[in-house]
Amino acid sequence: MLIFSVFKTLTDQQVTVELKNDLSITGVLKSVDQFLNIRLDNIKVLDEARHPHMMAVKNCFIRGSVVRYVQLPAEHVDTQLLEDATRREAQNQVKR
Amino acid sequence: MSFFGFDQPDLEREKLRFLEGELNSNEDIPTYTWAENYDGLGDALQEGGDELNDETFGGIGTVGKDFDFSNPALPGAEDTQKYRQGINQSPLPSQKAFTSPLSTIPVPAPAISLESIWDDKSPFSLRLNGAARTPSRGPPTSTPRQSGIRTLQEIEAEMRAAAEQSREAVALQQRQQQLLLQQQREEEEFYYRQRQQQEQQQEQELRQRLLYQQQEQQQLQQLQRLQQQQHLQQQREQQQHHRTPPPRMLPVSQSPRFLEHQRQILLLQQQQEQQQLLRLQQLEEQLRVEELERQLRAQQITSQNHYERQQPSGPTLAEMEARHQQQLMQQQQHLRQRSQSPAARGGQHNGQHNVPLQESMPYLPQSIQLQQRLLSEMAQAEFLRDIQGLSQADQEALRMEAVRKILETEKMEEKRRRKAAKIAHMSKYNDLMTQSDKDFITRIQVSQLVSQDPYADDFYAQVYGAIMRSRMGLGVEDERVLKFGSSGGVGLGVPIKGSNRRPSAMQRMQQQVERIVSNAKKREEEKGLHAVHSLQGALGRTSGRSYKASPRQLLQVESSNGPTSSPTLSNAQPHPHISKQDIASEDGAAQAARLGREALGGAADATDLVRRDPLTHREVLVTLETLYDLVMNVEQLKHDEPHPEEQGEAVEEWKQQRDELVEQIWTKLQVMVPLETSNPHPFISLLSAAKGKKLLPRVTRNLDSQRMFTLLTLLIACFSQLDVIANAPILENPEDTPERASVERQTQAFLSSVMQSILPTIVKGELRLVTGLLGLLMDRNDVVAVARTKPGVALLTLLLTRVELIKQSIPEEIPSSADEEQWQMMFDHLFQLLTPHFTRMFPTRTEEGEAAESQDQPVWQFLAALALHATIQQHQILVTSLREKVLENVVSAKKGWGMSEEERQAKLANVDLFLHALGLESSQITV
Repeated sequence: MLIFSVFKTLTDQQVTVELKNDLSITGVLKSVDQFLNIRLDNIKVLDEARHPHMMAVKNCFIRGSVVRYVQLPAEHVDTQLLEDATRREAQNQVKR
Repeated sequence: MSFFGFDQPDLEREKLRFLEGELNSNEDIPTYTWAENYDGLGDALQEGGDELNDETFGGIGTVGKDFDFSNPALPGAEDTQKYRQGINQSPLPSQKAFTSPLSTIPVPAPAISLESIWDDKSPFSLRLNGAARTPSRGPPTSTPRQSGIRTLQEIEAEMRAAAEQSREAVALQQRQQQLLLQQQREEEEFYYRQRQQQEQQQEQELRQRLLYQQQEQQQLQQLQRLQQQQHLQQQREQQQHHRTPPPRMLPVSQSPRFLEHQRQILLLQQQQEQQQLLRLQQLEEQLRVEELERQLRAQQITSQNHYERQQPSGPTLAEMEARHQQQLMQQQQHLRQRSQSPAARGGQHNGQHNVPLQESMPYLPQSIQLQQRLLSEMAQAEFLRDIQGLSQADQEALRMEAVRKILETEKMEEKRRRKAAKIAHMSKYNDLMTQSDKDFITRIQVSQLVSQDPYADDFYAQVYGAIMRSRMGLGVEDERVLKFGSSGGVGLGVPIKGSNRRPSAMQRMQQQVERIVSNAKKREEEKGLHAVHSLQGALGRTSGRSYKASPRQLLQVESSNGPTSSPTLSNAQPHPHISKQDIASEDGAAQAARLGREALGGAADATDLVRRDPLTHREVLVTLETLYDLVMNVEQLKHDEPHPEEQGEAVEEWKQQRDELVEQIWTKLQVMVPLETSNPHPFISLLSAAKGKKLLPRVTRNLDSQRMFTLLTLLIACFSQLDVIANAPILENPEDTPERASVERQTQAFLSSVMQSILPTIVKGELRLVTGLLGLLMDRNDVVAVARTKPGVALLTLLLTRVELIKQSIPEEIPSSADEEQWQMMFDHLFQLLTPHFTRMFPTRTEEGEAAESQDQPVWQFLAALALHATIQQHQILVTSLREKVLENVVSAKKGWGMSEEERQAKLANVDLFLHALGLESSQITV
């Protein structure tokens, strides 16, 4: 639930989602669910010349399984807290 | 002559005989009607109650008006009724009249009687019945019947009238006209009778038309649009009608001549009937149209929309009008035929009688349309005349404007249409899922988010939210967690500001989850185990890792290497000779003094000291991770702190738990390990990692002041062992290497984390403690080297500032003279050590301009602090050694050799910082 928890704090922030088909979409994160499906608004594709069919698309829903990376806005991520949360997660897994 | 092998005349004769009752005997019927295998069961039938047949099937006497709903009780209705009676009776005499002269033909025409309805043996009736079944029936047959049940003859007549519309029928009629010559006599007789009837009828018509005209004039305006439609429809119908000849008519025209003749007779007779019928129907039609128009008007008044919707389904008025029109046409055709025939007189007479019918034409839609068009044309002409009054340019501009507006409107219209089309296209998917479907899916989704410890599972979002709220100055709210009794809950994350749908959505979700939880409990009672698993897989395979929303991990760390069984633990045990009792018995200041003395004396107890290798990097990291876990546990414990009002065991237990954890942390920090155990000291090793530095403030928050003094002493004693001090020379490297960047980062982390965490302790410290610390620093470290690093300068400044504050503080806290003496001695020693290196303390210039000045600033600050404590002789030493540097700064700032205003200000500010401490000012220096 860690990543889900992190994405929850990033709603209404600008993120870049890199898909496994090498498409990179930048947009405002509207919502995310436990499958890490992502809904983006005001999207813009990184290499528009290569993906002209995406020019007219304004918002999108991305299935979590097709995401390779998500670039987070550094100023909106508390790295130390994220480290802590990760430790907690690891701790919980050890407990189980 | 035979028709398809049948002996027609015989048949006819038989029929006649049958009708006359000659063939009533039983023996003939079976052979004639049925096949040989007839079992004769029909003979056993005893039929009765035939006396009511006439009443049932009509055809005799006056048909009552009781069920005639279409015919309103208008003045003309009574006359129509009378007229209908006339028609019902009229065919018989006329028929008799012209059948008798035709007695030369062996077979007489079939009588029009009730029996003929059932007379299916006639080839004509067969044929005609077949034609009647074909879909291409002419409109007359489809006219609504008002006169109750009609005879087959009448139906046939209608069929024939329809057939006449076709070209084939025209050819037939030409032959028929030849026959007419022979039948002139009968016709004259017939026309005489007909004329009388028509005169009667004319009167009725006139009366009705007067009424009709009045009404129509009132209705004209409302009907305009309707009539245009009617006109179109009417034209279409007429075209269709002419295009499709009744398919069965051709063979009839090819039939034997004898039959043809016979048929012609029938036909004629039927035509007369037809004409009369048509008139009657026409009248009725008019009445009905009136009625309908009235209804329509009512509808129009009630609602325009309703009317429009009704238009397609409401067939009546347009069709009626169309039929009416067709009937008129038919009549005119008849008349034309008559006028060509020798019986021209009668035809002309007929035509004269038809004049009123033609007079009714102006009420047809064409003329109205024409009027409208003329009117609009006139209006346009007038408008154009108006425009011509304007200048040419204005006109042009107006036209351009108009064109532009039209284009704009078209564009807007196009856009709107496209949008509407899209919406319409998409709307077919509306409500594909019902609310319960959506609820079901939400339930499944939410059920996977429910966890035993919602706060821990949503840790990041919870804490981040809390931090954000406190940063924004909002009060610390309670956890953003939905809790459901003791069974679990859902973490809600950060509240989203400015969304109004949130509360209701939250409420819905809460209800949903509560239901899930209660359902799950119920099911658990039923099944015992794994209630949630029944929903698993409903949205696809979710039992994998994605279930907990964590992506696949790239690093698979063996979990057997748990925090308690860490291999690094064994060599991280505190040395046995420092027992807990020892620590507890000594108070902080005493311990610091002891350590200081130890350090100053340089007499380390090396005998029972176990020398060890310094911690490896891995050991450091593992220890740090263990520490982090402990610290987090403490923090979690703090979060779960019982309410202070709560008394008794809970609080005690909690305190005990916390102390235990803090004790573990203290042990892990290895502060109590003797100084000489290793180089660097294990504690210093822990601080070599960035995360170790970052951990320190969180650790020190939980330590009491006594432990903090110990920690501080150790830190200062081993100050030069710190990585930031040891690696400081790398910072002097003018090149921008990764190492330098790394060291810079570490230095920054040290200044912000470690210095921050020891600051409160130093600020609280007494003069004696500070003196001890300074002495320790000078004794165990190369003060000159330390003073040339940023952390060193920062530490020295901190110590000097503290002493300065102590000196200026309130009298009771003024330290004893002995302590002051000791301090002065220590300070003199420091000054002495540093004197040759004052100018070299400034960091090597790696940057230019203002940034360089800000790098210099801590050093100027330290020098200023030094100057505050210095004696007059020391002042002189300071000034002489720093004279060059000060002058250089002042001169360059005042001359402003290609530097920005900010840089000049920074230079002067730095110099002033130092000069103020000496009681001087940069403005006093003359260049």
